[in-house]
Amino acid sequence: MSDRLAGMAILAVSLVYLWAAGGYEAGFGDPLGPAAFPRIIGIPAAVISILLIIWPGRDPQWAGGRRLIRQIAALATLIGYALLLEPLGFVPSTFLAVGGLALLMGARLVPALLTAATIAPALYILFDRVMGLPLPLLGPLIT
Amino acid sequence: METLSFLANGFTVAAQPINLALILVGCFVGTLIGSLPGLGPVNGVAILIPLTFAFGFDATSSMILLSAVYYGCMYGGRISSIMLNIPGDEPAIMTTLDGYPMAKSGRAADALAISGVASFIGATLATIGLTLFAPLLAKAAIYFGPADYFALYVMAFATIGGIAGIDPRKTLLAAFVGLMIGTVGLDPATGVARYTFGSFNLYDGFDTIVALVGLFAVSEILMFMELKIKTAAIIPLGRTLPRLSTIKEGLGASFRGSGIGFIAGILPGAGASLGAVMAYTFEKQLNDKDGTFGNGDPRGVAAPEAGNNAASGGALIPMLTLGVPGSGTTAVMLAMLISLNVQPGPLLFEKQPELVWGLVASLYLANIALLILNIPLIGIFTRLLRLPSWALMPFVVAISYLGVYAISHSPFDLMVMVGFGVLGFVFRKLDISLVPVVLGLLLGMDMENNLRRALSISGGDPSILIESPISIGLYIVTGAFLVFSIYLSTRSHKRRDV
Amino acid sequence: MVKHFNIIRKASAASLLAFVMAVPAGAAECIAPADPGGGWDFTCRTVGRLLTEEGIVDGNVQVTNMPGGVGAVAFANVASKRADDPDLLVATSTVGITQIAQGKYPAGVDTMRFVAMLGADVGVIAVNKDSEFETLDDLLAAMKSDPDSVITAGSSGVGGWDHIRLLQLAQAGGVEDLKTLRWVQFDGGSPAVTQMMGGQVNVVSTDLGEIAGFVESGDIKILAALSDEPIEAFPDAPTAKSQGYDVTGYNWRGFYTGGDVSDEAYDGWVANLKTLYDSPEWQQAAIASGLTPIWRGGPEFSQYVIDQEQLMGNISREIGVIK
Repeated sequence: MSDRLAGMAILAVSLVYLWAAGGYEAGFGDPLGPAAFPRIIGIPAAVISILLIIWPGRDPQWAGGRRLIRQIAALATLIGYALLLEPLGFVPSTFLAVGGLALLMGARLVPALLTAATIAPALYILFDRVMGLPLPLLGPLIT
Repeated sequence: METLSFLANGFTVAAQPINLALILVGCFVGTLIGSLPGLGPVNGVAILIPLTFAFGFDATSSMILLSAVYYGCMYGGRISSIMLNIPGDEPAIMTTLDGYPMAKSGRAADALAISGVASFIGATLATIGLTLFAPLLAKAAIYFGPADYFALYVMAFATIGGIAGIDPRKTLLAAFVGLMIGTVGLDPATGVARYTFGSFNLYDGFDTIVALVGLFAVSEILMFMELKIKTAAIIPLGRTLPRLSTIKEGLGASFRGSGIGFIAGILPGAGASLGAVMAYTFEKQLNDKDGTFGNGDPRGVAAPEAGNNAASGGALIPMLTLGVPGSGTTAVMLAMLISLNVQPGPLLFEKQPELVWGLVASLYLANIALLILNIPLIGIFTRLLRLPSWALMPFVVAISYLGVYAISHSPFDLMVMVGFGVLGFVFRKLDISLVPVVLGLLLGMDMENNLRRALSISGGDPSILIESPISIGLYIVTGAFLVFSIYLSTRSHKRRDV
Repeated sequence: MVKHFNIIRKASAASLLAFVMAVPAGAAECIAPADPGGGWDFTCRTVGRLLTEEGIVDGNVQVTNMPGGVGAVAFANVASKRADDPDLLVATSTVGITQIAQGKYPAGVDTMRFVAMLGADVGVIAVNKDSEFETLDDLLAAMKSDPDSVITAGSSGVGGWDHIRLLQLAQAGGVEDLKTLRWVQFDGGSPAVTQMMGGQVNVVSTDLGEIAGFVESGDIKILAALSDEPIEAFPDAPTAKSQGYDVTGYNWRGFYTGGDVSDEAYDGWVANLKTLYDSPEWQQAAIASGLTPIWRGGPEFSQYVIDQEQLMGNISREIGVIK
């Protein structure tokens, strides 16, 4: 069933992809044009996904219950980290993300916080100060 | 003979204490940067450029430092591939296929040692090739036209069908999904924005590193959440010291992989990733008689590592002889040469013999330094596996975010990375290999560009694709490869039936 | 557990040590709206380095690469997030203005304050050393009689600056059907030249800087330099003007800053860049990388950019690149 759903999703994406390719045209000077290659790859993608819908493979075991909740919480943490990195700054957001993920992975509170409190500033110093890759220390929400 | 005396002069340049020190520093820093997911040789080299300015090194010393970093990154990329199933950079993706299974069965030290030796063999052979044949090879590479590049990419995609996964349909589908993702962005030939949904953030398409980190590292976190809580370590520790016998198993593969990788490296644009892919698929085709590839075959670690290291050596050839960047990293190195008032181009060997030969000599020394450096590192890295996963994995996440953000300064890219993480998670659950997705994304763009270039040259006449002897040769090899693999698979089915 | 914290402690001690030893972070930042290794990256890195070395600004100038959409991503980013940041420079060039003129950026030139240009690369038309074309006249005559017979190439796509310069020249040479000319895009000037040396294409139109090495080695020859005066490094290469075709094609390198930056900060940057421009170090670095030092700054430069945007728009419409 999972394979069928995935097949349908990829089929839908490739059909939209092929439909959109029809709208791309070059002014002049390019014989093949921007639409040809998407068609060359979109059609086989659609065909293979149909094959997958007709003859699916075995079903994987998806997580349920508490594990599913943990997965969702982890995903939420990852998205939150991405969204808050600039507003909060690198160090606070990394502290929250590392601490949160460590707790989700079963760490006890104190070691998790200590780890996060070490990793966040250490990475900032290593990358921003030593390697010269600019990172926001504290974001506008804090300062 | 003349070459040898040039090389001898080169060694006197490389052996100056300052240059020796730079080689060591470069190798060490490069290995570290290479092993961090999301940071590869391009960033490693770019990071160190301000440093070379700050210390006021001359062009020769600067190039020696940057090349040592470059080689170091190529060595380092394999480490997280093997230990965490997360490639440190693009060329290291193929190393996950057999490296991680080896580590999972307690042979992490073996895998690290084999790949270290393979990297050494690949890089050293490439450096020898560079020493002896650079100008000759550069002349040959010029005759490789767009139609020939297209044939090369067709060969790469035809051969990845068999690299991984249980269901070949899913491997193919993964490659096509990667290719489709790769077409997002401004079309370089006409400037038409494709699949960008009006967002300027998508104008450059999806960055391969962002996709790579998302697909492998972020999805790993989601996979982890399914495991029983408080699993002490990710993978069994096993031995912390490698066995000599396993290293020997990888020797043949290393030499074959080096040859293939070197050729891929000389061709501007093809680069290290292609070298690793081809080295792996050919090795598998040649030697996978018992289905051990993909389950921790030492040869499956040796071949791609030799391949990508040989390719990075090969990529220096068009850079030094023509001033043409063979890869993103060499592009950065060229830019630095220019800003140090050294004009790259066909006259570099004549006008700057000290720089060129000093660099070549230092590459030999860097390789030896890297081999020596990597042996004690095996012990340190295998001990890292003792860290509890609740500390190690969040750390990897922080590094991934940092790597992506520090380079593009785009929260949008971070969201894209998480999106790729979800995609990677679903694909892994469904037994769809992630490697072809990355390869599609990585090579698809070049494949299309060269097809379009070929047809622009011919004015739309497709016969240009099979006109040159090079492309005909490549298609014949591709055909033979496919026939051979079908023959092998029917034979192995029969054997299993008996 | 104890062991694990030991590792972390050691690591943080090491990074603290490195922190003390590290170079102080600088106040000013230069955004190169491309990957490392290109022309904009070079502009930022060289100017940034010289600003520090000459003591014109305090501390390091941090170079940030923000690739995407031929500069559009950085442009959008600065317009929305850092329009009033007084410590920011963004590299741009003729290529960027061409993109703006063709509507490929999120907004027009009036969104930003253009600070100054420090030099320009000269466009050239080059052929193989053993090419049948000896002069620009030969080439244009061949293009005119059979536009389909000459395969041209450069580092931009169809309608990009390399292509437009060639089309302007073709137009001046009386080629009527510009759309039948064959144009092949490569990822840079030197790949285009090597493909020409391999016999795949006949003519390359691109900036001189990146391919000067091939001219010096004699592998290729310049049929026309698209400059007003002959190029200093190659005085024998004839200009298009001297051959009777009034076409020039510079690719200048300069900077803009956010649209809401105060007059004070803007004038400060103009003055700083002028000091840099006048230094022998910049003159030398510019020439070494194939640039001709040319100064335009402040209001003069802003007006120049506005004029150039209109010019590019007109050319693009005339040639048929945009409607």
